[in-house]
Amino acid sequence: MTVISAIPELRKRVEKLRSLPSSPAILQPLLKLLRKPPEEIAIGEVVALVSYEKTIAAQLLRIANSPLYGRAVPTESIQGAVFALGIQRIKEILLSNCFNKLVPKNKWAVDPSVFWRHSFGCALVCGELANRIEYRDKDQAYLAGLLHDLGIVVNSLTYTEEYREVLARAAADGRPLEEQEAESLGFTHCESGGILAKTWQLPAAIVEVIEWHHAIEKGPVENPLIAIVHLGDLLCRVRGLGYGYEEWRAIDLPADAAWTTLAKHFPKLQSMDLARFTMDLDAYVIGITKLVDAIFSPPKS
Amino acid sequence: MPAEIQAKKQATTALRDVEERDPFYLKIRDLVYQACGIYHSEEKLYLLAGACKRRMPASRVTGARPYFELLANPATRVIELRELLNEITIGETCLFRSPPQLNALQNVILPELIATRSKLGLHKLRIWSAGCSTGEESYTLAMFLLEQGEKLLKGWTFEIMATDLNDRSIEAAKAGVYGTYALRNTTDLYRRKYFVAAEGEKLRVIDAVKARISFSRLNLNDDSKMLFMKGLDLIFCCNVLIYFDVPSKRRVVQHFFSSLTPPGYFFLGHAESLYQVTDEFRLVHLPGATMYLKPAAAAEGKTKA
Repeated sequence: MTVISAIPELRKRVEKLRSLPSSPAILQPLLKLLRKPPEEIAIGEVVALVSYEKTIAAQLLRIANSPLYGRAVPTESIQGAVFALGIQRIKEILLSNCFNKLVPKNKWAVDPSVFWRHSFGCALVCGELANRIEYRDKDQAYLAGLLHDLGIVVNSLTYTEEYREVLARAAADGRPLEEQEAESLGFTHCESGGILAKTWQLPAAIVEVIEWHHAIEKGPVENPLIAIVHLGDLLCRVRGLGYGYEEWRAIDLPADAAWTTLAKHFPKLQSMDLARFTMDLDAYVIGITKLVDAIFSPPKS
Repeated sequence: MPAEIQAKKQATTALRDVEERDPFYLKIRDLVYQACGIYHSEEKLYLLAGACKRRMPASRVTGARPYFELLANPATRVIELRELLNEITIGETCLFRSPPQLNALQNVILPELIATRSKLGLHKLRIWSAGCSTGEESYTLAMFLLEQGEKLLKGWTFEIMATDLNDRSIEAAKAGVYGTYALRNTTDLYRRKYFVAAEGEKLRVIDAVKARISFSRLNLNDDSKMLFMKGLDLIFCCNVLIYFDVPSKRRVVQHFFSSLTPPGYFFLGHAESLYQVTDEFRLVHLPGATMYLKPAAAAEGKTKA
């Protein structure tokens, strides 16, 4: 296996990403905003952040007025758009906007709308799961779900062509992406994402999620966010919010190591109604697809 | 005018949203879930509201709140719940109703069963459609498995036992004649290969398919008969258990569990759940479908710890 030799080369490539001209200046203030519970965020804060760049403001107005959100009276102010869409959706739009700037269109190895459906879906599921098991910081779980696949963005940027190949192969065989990555590239999106997350100085708990969500047995046991994201990610992947293809395997969540570990500290997990949780997830899929469609629908000329 | 239509559409959706946001529909949803194990998530709430509204004239009430009270009242509850469940499941039956379920069978479950049963020297699959109603599910499975005859199931045979409490349903199932509504998901390939023309626009299932299924009357509450169902690989029981109270549901599900050879799978209707009915079956996920697994290591007659 080329696993060991691939890492220094990967590190070099990721280090180079730091000096990208389009490195997102909005990222740090945005992350601060993302970490707050929506009810603690003042509208003024969001408006200030959104006004950072004309293109973001324009995009927010376009989405708020899009037929998908069916507003009778169009809104013309950012404040109006924030009210219309809600803080949660604004956060998601800002983050995707930020990354869509970072990654040029021709560099996305994975379809960006597929990627964002998965990321928004996972964020929602992780937040809900945290809620049900009474994990103290629902918003941190939401953020962890949102950013867990940072490595997919890294792989798209640094290994565009090879990565397209990896995705195509995984899709053809209905195989988990991380397995195909390890085999074809010698590393997974966990490793590449981890390197960038550290470079960007993301919160330590989030870095750990990015690094270990597919290998929880190797990660730090004291961080339950890793197990939450691992389970949320699996659920999304069997309910139509995966990487754009179906993975042909049976997922037995209660038999998963992450489930067992999490249940030790959060007994509510054992009595959770998993069937109902899954059916509720299908309702989120509709909302998430709508948001992503609105983000990626071409602006009216 | 497109703009006008758009506005009208928005107005009706908005109206629908307001009506369904009536907290009493949520209460009805929770009551139905607790009593019957059939769940309506937010995006399916309009279906429940529709079923309630169709029942209201006959029950002589208007609005979600009085209808909820009818369901909550011990004097009217049992009868009204049964009527409501009939409304909820009406039109649910058609052939090829759940493509994700068939995909799961083809891509994961059948290969797994073939591998584990081959080791035991077995080359026959046994499938039970419990509460087969008018036969749509049984014929779907038979045709789907016949299609696999030259592929996954080469060298294998299968038999489907289809049972129902209702004699008239069994008769209709045996006839195997379906109209356009029941056939709306059936592809041309299947229509050509497995059906012949019947009266009007109806189609009749060919005898070669019928020969793979035995239809018979069975009461799932009949413990002595239930004990005879053994050595099954797959059990389907769609929208039947919702009519049972929790103790009978537990007993029936226990029979299903014992009937399966591990690893074996138990399939419910897409909105049904076994939550708080059993913890012996494990809920597993496959793309777009869930099912209950009797794991290979499961010991029978295990009591709750």
